[in-house]
Amino acid sequence: MSGASAEGGTPDDGHRSHGIPWRRWSIVLHRDVGYLAVALTIAYAISGIAVNHIADWNPNYRVTKTFTTVEPIAAVAPNDLVPVAMQHLKLTEQPRSSFQPDSNTLQLFYKGTTYHVDLPTGKVMMEATRARPVLYEMNQLHLNHSKRAWTWIADVYALALLLLAITGLFVLKGKNGITQRGGWLTAAGFLPIVYWLVFLR
Amino acid sequence: MTRIRMAACALALLAITAATAAAQGKAYGKPLTLKEKTPISKILADPHAFAGKRVQVEGTIVEVCEERGCWINIASDKPFEKIRFKVDDGVIVFPLDAKGKKAIAEGVLSVTHLTKEQAMKQALEMHKERGTMAKFDSTKYLKGVTDIQIKGEGARVVE
Repeated sequence: MSGASAEGGTPDDGHRSHGIPWRRWSIVLHRDVGYLAVALTIAYAISGIAVNHIADWNPNYRVTKTFTTVEPIAAVAPNDLVPVAMQHLKLTEQPRSSFQPDSNTLQLFYKGTTYHVDLPTGKVMMEATRARPVLYEMNQLHLNHSKRAWTWIADVYALALLLLAITGLFVLKGKNGITQRGGWLTAAGFLPIVYWLVFLR
Repeated sequence: MTRIRMAACALALLAITAATAAAQGKAYGKPLTLKEKTPISKILADPHAFAGKRVQVEGTIVEVCEERGCWINIASDKPFEKIRFKVDDGVIVFPLDAKGKKAIAEGVLSVTHLTKEQAMKQALEMHKERGTMAKFDSTKYLKGVTDIQIKGEGARVVE
């Protein structure tokens, strides 16, 4: 992709007879746009693999659930539930907020951690959520969660990839060029699409 | 001296802007348009009266879709109640750390009846995803359930 050399084929200095040196422009564009696209290509490729398997894992967060038991919380006035639960859990910091999904359960929300307390039994599930370093940011970019200006940046990147694909066809000529081996390989690149059309659609 | 004053003014302006943005919270999706909020308890008490209507609700976010951030559950103003705010996948993505924060959310209320099988399937999936300690009680779904959710269009999440 980037830094393309003319190995295996001779770069044409351009079809000067036609006035515009197309092959030279292809090589220059392929090389320089390729360099520019490296960072985003790496980020998008890694994120692509990560989010492709979203059914098997959470590519953005590591969620860990641990269990413990505290003294049951019974016969406590509704307004006292949170302070009593905090006391039992030995928590000193006030939670962001709390919620009772039903009369037996109390949830305490802290930044990054939620405590689910089963009041009659004292069983507690601590659910800790941590964003996966780097991967979280890559996914945010790849899936364009931030919208706004990133939509345009991603569009420019997509156009850059298109340019790389087209100019890549004309970097080499000769036995490895598009008219020979390169042509067969380019055709082979369409096979996954055909497979999808025939078997997976 | 003038430069120092200008820098101080710029910093002050930046601080005010940041503080205002933090107070307003983070916006998701389309801007909120309704002037009045509807209590969630009022919607849940008579969902058919609001079916197909645009509503704006406010409450604590008590659950977030772990996989795609495509829904949040918002606590009602009455105990033990919540409502689901469902958005189109990828259009709005709520972060998991929104749990416990306050949401002001707007969308159209959808009321559908789920058959016993549909309700059971949905509940089992939720139970599996949450990994809750409570035992799964299938008897609650024998007659099917009325599914009430807001088809979300826009929201603001504040600390």
